[in-house]
Amino acid sequence: MPIDRRLLLYINWPLLGMAVILFLVGVLNLYSASGFRLEEGMNLAPYYHRQLLWGLMGLIGMTVFMFFDYRHLKTLAWPLFWVSVALLVAVFFMGKTIYGARRWLDLGFMNFQPSELAKIAVLIVGARILSREREPLDFLRLGYVLGVGLILAGLIIKQPDLGSGLSILMILGGMILFRGVTARVFKTCLIAIPALLPLSWFFLHDYQKQRIMTFLDPTTDPLGAGYHIIQSEIAIGSGGFWGKGFMEGTQSQLRFLPERHTDFAVAVFGEEWGFVGTMILLSLFCFFLYQIVIIARDARGLFGSYLAAGVFFYFFWQILINTGMVLGLMPVVGIPLPFISYGGSATLVNFCLIGLVLNVSMRRFLFKQG
Amino acid sequence: MPDLYNEADQQPPRTGLLLLQALILGLFCLFAVRLWYLQIHRGEEYALKARENQLRQESIFSPRGLIRDRNGDLLAVNEPAYALGLVREDCPDIDKAMHQIAAWTGRDFFELKAFYNKNKKRVKPFEPLILIPDLSFGQLALIETNKLRWPGLEIQFRPRRLYRYGTLLAHVLGYVAEANEEELEKNPELALGDYVGKQGIEFMLEDRMRGAKGLAQYEVDVNGRRLKERILKHPRAGHEISLSIDLGLQKLAMDWLDEEAGGVAVMDADTGQLWALATAPSYDSNDFSSGLTPEQWARLRDNPLHPMQNRVIQSVYPPGSIFKHVVAGAGLHYNMLDPKETVLCTGATRLGRRVFRCWRKGGHGNVDMERALVESCDVYFYKQGKKLTVDRLAEFAQAVGFGHKTGIRLPHEKAGNIPTREWKLKRFGESWQGGDNLNMSIGQGYTLVTPLQVARFFAGIVNGGKLLKPLLLKDAKTEVQAEIPLSQAQIELLHRALVQTVENNRGTCRRLRTKGVTVGGKTGTAQVVRLTDELKELKDDDIPYRFRDHGWMAATAEKDGKRFAIAVLVEHGLHGGSGAGPVVKAVIDYLFTGEVRLKPEERKAKARAVRALSLKKRKAPAANGKKEKPGAH
Repeated sequence: MPIDRRLLLYINWPLLGMAVILFLVGVLNLYSASGFRLEEGMNLAPYYHRQLLWGLMGLIGMTVFMFFDYRHLKTLAWPLFWVSVALLVAVFFMGKTIYGARRWLDLGFMNFQPSELAKIAVLIVGARILSREREPLDFLRLGYVLGVGLILAGLIIKQPDLGSGLSILMILGGMILFRGVTARVFKTCLIAIPALLPLSWFFLHDYQKQRIMTFLDPTTDPLGAGYHIIQSEIAIGSGGFWGKGFMEGTQSQLRFLPERHTDFAVAVFGEEWGFVGTMILLSLFCFFLYQIVIIARDARGLFGSYLAAGVFFYFFWQILINTGMVLGLMPVVGIPLPFISYGGSATLVNFCLIGLVLNVSMRRFLFKQG
Repeated sequence: MPDLYNEADQQPPRTGLLLLQALILGLFCLFAVRLWYLQIHRGEEYALKARENQLRQESIFSPRGLIRDRNGDLLAVNEPAYALGLVREDCPDIDKAMHQIAAWTGRDFFELKAFYNKNKKRVKPFEPLILIPDLSFGQLALIETNKLRWPGLEIQFRPRRLYRYGTLLAHVLGYVAEANEEELEKNPELALGDYVGKQGIEFMLEDRMRGAKGLAQYEVDVNGRRLKERILKHPRAGHEISLSIDLGLQKLAMDWLDEEAGGVAVMDADTGQLWALATAPSYDSNDFSSGLTPEQWARLRDNPLHPMQNRVIQSVYPPGSIFKHVVAGAGLHYNMLDPKETVLCTGATRLGRRVFRCWRKGGHGNVDMERALVESCDVYFYKQGKKLTVDRLAEFAQAVGFGHKTGIRLPHEKAGNIPTREWKLKRFGESWQGGDNLNMSIGQGYTLVTPLQVARFFAGIVNGGKLLKPLLLKDAKTEVQAEIPLSQAQIELLHRALVQTVENNRGTCRRLRTKGVTVGGKTGTAQVVRLTDELKELKDDDIPYRFRDHGWMAATAEKDGKRFAIAVLVEHGLHGGSGAGPVVKAVIDYLFTGEVRLKPEERKAKARAVRALSLKKRKAPAANGKKEKPGAH
């Protein structure tokens, strides 16, 4: 089959451009954050180097996700869901324990996190179910959709990986909101969720409670958990309007935190590039998100729209939570900032999902023919 | 797939699209406001906090392992040194501070500035970049009193290496110096300005001696002044090293080599430990560790006597007559030499049209193996060497360790050379000649050895055949590298010949006789040039320094179960007996009686005069320089 020229024409190039620019900004920032020779001789691994390699793999993954017609995913949705469930169960028995959590499967050449696959699966299954809903969801339908998400989320939270588990529910929740619910459901949730939230306190681990406490008052533990928040705010704040310049960040303590190239990477950015830099970065992210909305709008077929909406929420929540945490608006949770934080499989998944929405945008003309 | 088309007609929910756009707007507004609040509204305040509330980390230097001699005398120690560093983040006006540093220390401002610009990226903004590694006490006092007026300047304390006998052991200890770019790249534990071993033991045992730096954390105020300090990691001191070297003996050997060029190796024949490894002329390790000036370096580099050369392991010489023991050993090994068989020495032998002379003009008469060794008869060995041929000579010489590195733990050791037919063909494009055989059998020609190889071989003769790895550390394990392929009786024959060379009134090493000690010896003369008739007519004293032959002496000494082998080479020392002999004798006296007999002043004066004369002549264009044989050493 010769490649239809329109396939290339309809690619949402601004989105692709944004993703690449954000990724390069991230690599540049990592270069600064991973530091070089310290006086006591500690030399951090050149993360930016590995990140670049992951980025290249991501571009390959993205291309793969653009090649096939995304509508085939409809038939693949349920098998993918069950494979995810199987792998998540497998983690319990064969998983590799790192930092006290069983999250990884050792594939020999790399460590694989089934929870990343689960995020993709929930997106596709969610899009498949929701695209068939003719009416806003009533309690029954809502329960069905949420139930599917809870199976995945529950298995992940058990690992324990609260962050990933909640993000599955939040992606699905976003997609449900995109679909819309009946007025009755909406009103009930509006009252019930805030009322039930305090109950979840009893299900949290101690360190998670601790994080919420320190968020509410960082000064209670200025040298422990609250330290990240204080230092992160100082780092960003001291950047001022113009910033301190590339590689000139001085927040020495931050430099010794392992998180400075992962979860707190944007703090390094804020210190070195100032308000000017952070505003540009924020605008880039918003423009990036907006392009996904455009794709959701223009997609031919609801399945494509819902896929795009799912990807939108996948990125949206991460940006909101990570930046909120670094800016001291949210408790510390281990969620990275897409493209800016160091992370191999995250980078790979990010690019694959970009490929998925580009796939939707490329094939928006196909239906007109039919 | 009807289902596909069915949903394709539907438009995405409009409320949903609006929701997504509203979320983007909300995200933007929320973070824009927060960023404005943090970076603009409270920016100044945070900037101040960033400077105030800083925790910094600093290395605590670990002392390098001390080096002692075998009796515990300290050879290399650490002394405090003070360095001046600049923290660029704390320094309001770097140029002004540099001008001040230049004024305090007398250094050139532009040099300092260039150094700063080149290296500033190597340290973090809040870490000191060392500008002056070594402040004098005057400078230290001056800067310390004015420091408060100069924020950003920091005095750092760090240990500095001091060699208590700078020139005495330079070639053994080597030296430390600031790590260069390559070393910094290779080892992430090193930081700019750190000292690492570059030569000798300091280089070879770097990992054992360096230790590990500690880490301290401290808070600083706005001006970079320290407030609280806490140790995060204690430094670990480097391991102490005890050399096998005997300081007294080393001193004695160096004294005897004073004003000469040459080397002395003294090996414990039972353990392989070296009690002295002296080479002259030498350099001062301290010059290198405190940073060599270009003038100092030029002087070392251009010195015609090459003080950087370790003559015991890095210089190779023809072994001369001391090789006769190898030839005799080869004859015994291949059963081609009956020790009782005599050869008539008439003072010369003929090969084709060429005449090969014995050193003794009148000849030795009928000599057997022992007498040939004792009196060093050349004609006897010409004949034996011709019979044995190069193949067997080379094989045996290699088997007793010549032509191979000894494996001593010092860098850049040379292997020397044992010629073979193939080697000559490859090297010169000529086939092996009968005359080459004769030259080889008296240790001249292409055979090249290091003094350390000689000491190892002679230690093998006195210890019953064990070829030991030369060791420099007192606690090193004795390692037998090979056995001399001879029976005990045959080795005893060689040893007896050595002892007779000292004891017999016709022996060439009579000067080594020491009461109560079984001393054996062998002299050797390594020809530097093929003597022309013109030179032959000259008396020894009139031969120009650089045409004089190198003098060898190898010796063994044994008393009460203590056994040593000694190898001495004096470059251009004319004869082994007179050039190297007194050195060996002094060493033996020291080893067994403890007597320290230094080199007589008139001998030093004479050596000085000879060398001064030759250096002067060297400067004039060498008219007869072609006589010098290439590759002699």
